[in-house]
Amino acid sequence: MKVTLNWLKEYVDFDYNADDLSHRLTMTGLEVDAMERLGEGLDTVIVARLADVQQHPDADRLTVCTVDTGSATQQVVCGATNHKTGDLIALAQVGTVLPGNFKIKKSKIRGQESFGMLCSMSEMGLSEESDGIMILPSDLDLGRPVFEQLGLKDVMYEIGLTPNRPDCLSVVGVAREVAAMAQAPLRLPEPVISENETLVAEKTSVTLEDSNLCPRYAARLIENVKIGPSPEWLVRRLETVGLRSINNVVDVTNFVMMELGQPLHAFDFNLLRERRIVVRRAEEGAEFTTLDGQVRTLLAADLVICDGEGPIALAGVMGGGNSEVSSETTDILLESAYFNPLTIRRTSKRLGLHTDASHRFERGTDVDMVPLALDRASALIAELASGQVAKGVVDEYPSALPRRIVTITASKASQVLGLELDADDIRLKLNSIGLKCDLQVDRSDEVVKVEIPNFRPDIEREIDLVEEVARLIGYDKIPVTMPVSSLTCQQLPVHLSRERQVRDLLLQSGYSEVINYSFYNPSCLDKLRLAENDSRRQNVNILNPLTEEQGVMRTSLVPSLLETASRNLAYRSEDLSLFELRPVFQPVENSEMASESLRLTAFLCGRRESQGWAQSSDEADFFDMKGVIEQLLSNLGVSDVCWQVEHDEAFYHPGKSCAIYQGERLLGTLGELHPEVIRNFDLAPSSILCDVDIEALFELGDKTIKFKPLSRFPDVQRDSAFLVGVDVAAQQVLSILNRVKIKDLESIELFDVYCGEGVPEGKKSLAIRACYRAMDRTLTDELIQNLHGKLIKAMEKELGAELR
Amino acid sequence: MKDKLNKIEEAALLAANEAVGEVELQQVRARYLGKKGEITAVMKGMGQLSPEERPLIGGLANEVKGRLEEAFALRQESLRQELMQQKLANERLDVTLPGRVQRAGFKHPITQVTEEVVGIFAALGFGVAEGPEIEKDFYNFEALNIPKDHPARDMQDTFYISEDVVLRTHTSPVQIRTMLDQEPPVRVVAPGTVYRRDSDITHSPMFHQIEGFLVDRKVTFGDLKGILTTFINEFFGENIAVRFRPSFFPFTEPSAEVDIQCVICGGSGCRVCSNSGWLEILGSGMIDPEVFKSVNYDPELYSGFAFGMGIERLAMLKYGVNDLRLFFENDMRFLKQF
Repeated sequence: MKVTLNWLKEYVDFDYNADDLSHRLTMTGLEVDAMERLGEGLDTVIVARLADVQQHPDADRLTVCTVDTGSATQQVVCGATNHKTGDLIALAQVGTVLPGNFKIKKSKIRGQESFGMLCSMSEMGLSEESDGIMILPSDLDLGRPVFEQLGLKDVMYEIGLTPNRPDCLSVVGVAREVAAMAQAPLRLPEPVISENETLVAEKTSVTLEDSNLCPRYAARLIENVKIGPSPEWLVRRLETVGLRSINNVVDVTNFVMMELGQPLHAFDFNLLRERRIVVRRAEEGAEFTTLDGQVRTLLAADLVICDGEGPIALAGVMGGGNSEVSSETTDILLESAYFNPLTIRRTSKRLGLHTDASHRFERGTDVDMVPLALDRASALIAELASGQVAKGVVDEYPSALPRRIVTITASKASQVLGLELDADDIRLKLNSIGLKCDLQVDRSDEVVKVEIPNFRPDIEREIDLVEEVARLIGYDKIPVTMPVSSLTCQQLPVHLSRERQVRDLLLQSGYSEVINYSFYNPSCLDKLRLAENDSRRQNVNILNPLTEEQGVMRTSLVPSLLETASRNLAYRSEDLSLFELRPVFQPVENSEMASESLRLTAFLCGRRESQGWAQSSDEADFFDMKGVIEQLLSNLGVSDVCWQVEHDEAFYHPGKSCAIYQGERLLGTLGELHPEVIRNFDLAPSSILCDVDIEALFELGDKTIKFKPLSRFPDVQRDSAFLVGVDVAAQQVLSILNRVKIKDLESIELFDVYCGEGVPEGKKSLAIRACYRAMDRTLTDELIQNLHGKLIKAMEKELGAELR
Repeated sequence: MKDKLNKIEEAALLAANEAVGEVELQQVRARYLGKKGEITAVMKGMGQLSPEERPLIGGLANEVKGRLEEAFALRQESLRQELMQQKLANERLDVTLPGRVQRAGFKHPITQVTEEVVGIFAALGFGVAEGPEIEKDFYNFEALNIPKDHPARDMQDTFYISEDVVLRTHTSPVQIRTMLDQEPPVRVVAPGTVYRRDSDITHSPMFHQIEGFLVDRKVTFGDLKGILTTFINEFFGENIAVRFRPSFFPFTEPSAEVDIQCVICGGSGCRVCSNSGWLEILGSGMIDPEVFKSVNYDPELYSGFAFGMGIERLAMLKYGVNDLRLFFENDMRFLKQF
């Protein structure tokens, strides 16, 4: 909503300066989004007379003008064609900076000197576009600033209105707020209409077929109008609040809508069949052509304004082409009505047709403003289009909308706000914005009964009045206090603290956290080589996505992480270790809701250590990532996992990947990416990925800590190397050794794997370090020999291993 | 004999002092005190002395031996010191070379800011709650006093999953879920991901919010101002100016928008604050009685306030990030800065 300082001053007296008013409006709940000083810095654009206009000797399209500023004459070269000797024009003198930072300098144009510029309206910021230079009215004073002479020095405020304040969708509405803050009276316009002899009741009629949807419809007839351009002041005023001038009649309806907040519509009376109005629901499926030339298909829920035969306007939204005011129009039927907000909103929304009128009707207009707006517009049309207003008003208002009475108690207001208030404070504040208050003193409390005017449809309950009081007192006057509340224990939920634990571990391991959009284009799953029947192709679809790239909720974090990696590689960040810890979404059968479960996906490529003069440049591999997962499992207390070579995940290298299981439960997968996936995402060779079901880890983890006493006796280590078949997995060896149950065996570590010289074909050498220690004595060589012997035997027996 | 011992002592001391390096000193020591050394030879030759002389010379020889031992030890210590000084003088590191570092992991700035905000409210006694991102219309709108067909729905462009299921447009549904689940008093913050159908330099279709609310007996608008002022001073600094101004949210009444003095220009007016000197950072208000009704709290008995803020906005202001999209591009050059 746009208003200007000068316009507001027509309804209320105040002497705030431009900035002060802006601040006050914002602090009263009418947030000023932008403020524009019209004509600011343009005092050097002055009124001048064209004393002489000559053709430029060396340019067909230019003229050389001699301008008279009242005190001097100077030469200006001009490129326009609409000016002639004697015209008053706007001269931007040398040194002026026009809107858009356009500096006027002394110049020479094709050999002719030019001191300044003759301005068009758009060059002065008075309109969006314009033809030729602006020719000024002939009664202005030479040498004076143009903006001052035209009365255009003004300040425009653009207010970001909240949807609860339809009353401020008008200049008068905003003026009412200013009147409250300035403690000055609000002056509404008082139109004077001289009616002619025609009796409106004899010429036309209005029938309301559905007074729920249209509780009030008023009309006046204005005869013998001359459709033409509007006067300058009206054009200017509409332009400063962002409306374009159409013709005198349409401009008046727009002006009154901006002034009083009541949308109006002018019909060409002679185009109305049977010269009458019927307000009714549309026929289901009927077609109607609106003013913009679009054919609209209507529903029975839509309200239409009809003449004796059919629709002529979509009520409260837009008029029809069949009854539009044109240059031929002579008689006008002017509509001023109140429509049910919900109906207008549904129609406007369904048709995607949002107009200044529908914007106001759907938020709720003031039913009591209907007659004043009608009279105001009729008087102006009579004045500006030399029309004659027929006698009387048709005003169909079968049952007056009841005025709401809402009560507010001083105790409630004080308690909500934390500020001591009495009934008088409340009454004064509410009175200032036009709310009538009736004070009653209850035995225990002071009750204020408030009659709510129809321009405030948002005030329905006591709390709404409390807000009004707070707003009018000023939020800054409410003291700052701290709540008094009983203590309760507020631990971080387990789920969240575990999530933090996982994130911290990844961060400590050198992985950086990324956050990608929760939606993607499902076709990215093809790049992962997922099978057609993969469950991750069951998506939760967004009905109205912004783009296809954001069409479904993601079922996997993998594609976006790979894209992130790829983008970083393109920026030459080559050593990457990234992770994302976010939910994935899947539809749930027989439910509208979706499942959301937390997943961890990590990516690794490039060199293991960060680069430096003293660091190794070894490439990171599978085992770097596996180490992190092992650490994660151990931190969360998930034990007995098995790293299984067989799995279904097609995006991994089949020989360098695995699934992680605990029993039957799949916890995740890990491996080097498949070369084709590497190509699809443009990644580096040997990129490593893991994809972990974090919720499963949370579920299975058991972090009960049970202390084991420490031995005070020395340990003894025994190293042995075994030859085993090249296909024997380390996991087999370790699980055998763990199964053997040798007393006093403290730990076993696999510290070397070797294939090559000295090891027979088809074999590999595994080196194991066993550590023995007893709780109660130092172990003797003999005993250890015995214990270690058992270990060697187990290896020989179970795996056919040979001691090297 | 006595003279001989004295001469040996003199010669030994001289040799010890002239010895260069520990090896040479050892050789000198051996020459005098070793098994075949001169002092040892004197001691061995004691048998040839008269019984009267024997104790005298014996005592003297022991004294000389003791003195020499001491002198050699001293000399050895000083040689060691010399050697160490020499070594220290030659050993040099270029301490200005960069240190050897582990590959570092960077926490996303969104997570950092979320944790900081949660931390401040935790210190004020607020717990943490969560809710689903795919949410029922009821929790996201209806229960928050935003009925269908209400103009307030235009305030947030919504992604729909079905007619009754949406991607939550704010974290406020967590308020409803928490209140349905707990009796007052409640003090909770709810961080989370939210979605709006909007995308440009200042809008992202996915972003993050943190919601907070407090319900108890006799909670006032003054308390709302107290808690939020405290939070802002903790997060942005003690000296930042704060203002509360009237606004509208369907689920609070009275509602307030909270502005802070522009952190970019300090309040004098700049592009970021569109010359107003103030930056809007959060929405808040007293919880609307309609909301209490939909969660079966008695509005006559309880009152409370709620607030919500955008994490990205806080992060942008705190770190001076000028483009919202950077948070979701995950460029390492960006992430490394936090």
